[in-house]
Amino acid sequence: MIPLEHVIGLSAILFAIGVVGVLVRRNVIVVLMSIELMLNAVNLAFVGFNRAWPGSEGAPSLDGQVFVLMVIAVAAAEVAVGLGIVISMFRNRDSVDLEEASLLRW
Amino acid sequence: MIPETIFVAVLAPIGFAAIGAMLVLLGEVLLSRSQSFLGRPWNARLVGSVLAGVSMLSLLLGLFVSIQWFASGDVQVFNPAHPLLQLDRFSALASALIITAALLSCALATYYLEVVGINHAEYYALLLLATAGMLTMVTAIDFLPLFVGLELMSIPLYALAGFDRRRLSSNESALKYFLIGSFASAVLLYGVALLYGATGSTSFAALREGFDPQSPLALTGLGLVVVGFAFKISAVPFHQWAPDVYEGAPSSVTAYMSVAVKATGVLALLRLLALGAAPLGGVGATVLDGPDAGLLDASLGQVLGGLAALSMIVGNLMAVIQDNVKRLLAYSSVAHAGYLLVGVAAGTAEAWSAAVFYLIVYTFMNLGAFAIVVALAQGGRDCERVASFAGLARARPGLAALMTIFLLALTGIPPTAGFFAKFGVFSAAVNVGLVPLAIIGVVMSVVSVYAYLRIPVLMYMHEPEEFAGAPAQAQSGERFVLLACAVAVLALGILPNGGTLLDFSLGEQRFALSVPSVLDWARAAVAFLVP
Repeated sequence: MIPLEHVIGLSAILFAIGVVGVLVRRNVIVVLMSIELMLNAVNLAFVGFNRAWPGSEGAPSLDGQVFVLMVIAVAAAEVAVGLGIVISMFRNRDSVDLEEASLLRW
Repeated sequence: MIPETIFVAVLAPIGFAAIGAMLVLLGEVLLSRSQSFLGRPWNARLVGSVLAGVSMLSLLLGLFVSIQWFASGDVQVFNPAHPLLQLDRFSALASALIITAALLSCALATYYLEVVGINHAEYYALLLLATAGMLTMVTAIDFLPLFVGLELMSIPLYALAGFDRRRLSSNESALKYFLIGSFASAVLLYGVALLYGATGSTSFAALREGFDPQSPLALTGLGLVVVGFAFKISAVPFHQWAPDVYEGAPSSVTAYMSVAVKATGVLALLRLLALGAAPLGGVGATVLDGPDAGLLDASLGQVLGGLAALSMIVGNLMAVIQDNVKRLLAYSSVAHAGYLLVGVAAGTAEAWSAAVFYLIVYTFMNLGAFAIVVALAQGGRDCERVASFAGLARARPGLAALMTIFLLALTGIPPTAGFFAKFGVFSAAVNVGLVPLAIIGVVMSVVSVYAYLRIPVLMYMHEPEEFAGAPAQAQSGERFVLLACAVAVLALGILPNGGTLLDFSLGEQRFALSVPSVLDWARAAVAFLVP
């Protein structure tokens, strides 16, 4: 059995990669993927922690796994709206580069 | 296990908003196919007004339920087997405040949408869905509905920020809001995951029992959750998105966003701190000992106090150098997040009541200021530049006078309610020994005088620089919002503790106009959280 530390460690690494991706990359689609990576790190942490808190005999606790289902559903909705926003901007500007989204500043 | 009873009443305010959104969507599909309505030829304007009416009706029902609930003081939990939502005095007052903001925003939008050429009924559906999300957030007693509510609030708002999809600045506003908003949600969610790992449950009550202040897991989790909230209420240093998003979004959306999201964020944070993290650091570990002891652990109080100080300083200083009104008001909302956090950080029942009162006042004064910007929109674009306010007192004296009232309130000058709101928060901070915070707040309020009062000076003492044809009339919806906000700001300022404003008799008839004691409502609501 994989120890909990490894699961949480992997989740923390994935989350950190996601954060760095959001901060460093300038392509909107890649930033979107990095945010997805962060959400999946969250999911992994929830599933891992659920194994540490299995509930009692006869009354198993599935809080963490239920949360993961919610996160997956909400993330799908979020990406749908996000891609819609990216497309409407692409139509006006022909670019998905964040550096060029600089109309609003100071 | 199927619970024996499910108390549907708890869902009523949320349900009215959500069902209203669906009715609006259905209504648009059905109505826009017909050729005429009650003998009148059908046009987009009529459809818009009818659907705005439908959404306002559903919000009124929600408001009615919330007020009833607040008056009765009942406490009911949705799904007792696994408590997720709880309607009590605090959440009822919070719901009533958010629904009021949504109602005023609906009334504000009808004409504006037409002026800027984005008159689509989806606007109201999205607004109602966002409201449903906010109501879920302030009713939640578990992280699961808190998260679902947060997303239900945020996703429609991303779409609303980009609602004027042919305008590049609106696209850009939506894109920035979306990226930063979903980043913040992910950070908050990781915090929730860590707290779940530390306590084994996602409910606030379990957090309260299982929280171990020595455990790095729990502390990191709580820190990430606070950062997520700081993003949502745009506290410095998590505020950079606010000016861009507020400037680019359609003004009516900005008006709604700036008040409702902030109110939701602060109220949900108060609820989380009271129900979840209260005995953080062991029972009694507080900013101060004694009967007036604070509710927060000293370290968390210091973090929130630091955020408050930074927000007040950066928000007010940046507001001074803005030449765009929407951007100025955006930085002003950052500064107000700071004043609100002073109340949250002080952490006594008195301070939290002051913070809730501040939120109520802030809702009216900020919505009013944005309503002026909305009412000035002409010929498909906003009247955004500070310079374009020059000479407004001559062209549109009514609007200029109201704008002056709202700006005086935002500055915190008596007899407007803004003064009492600030006074309450700062005196509560002084009472728990947070003197430096109060001093920063007062000094920065003085700085903000320059930022805000530039506009009245321009309006009253300068010649108009441009005349864009005959001045337009404010529409009935806008007039209603402006008057409601102005009356609230003045009445709460003259009589913050409630009382009789007018009492006279004409012949046999006796007239009395009394102001409800909103401060007492805030106290009653907080007393539920902090007995």
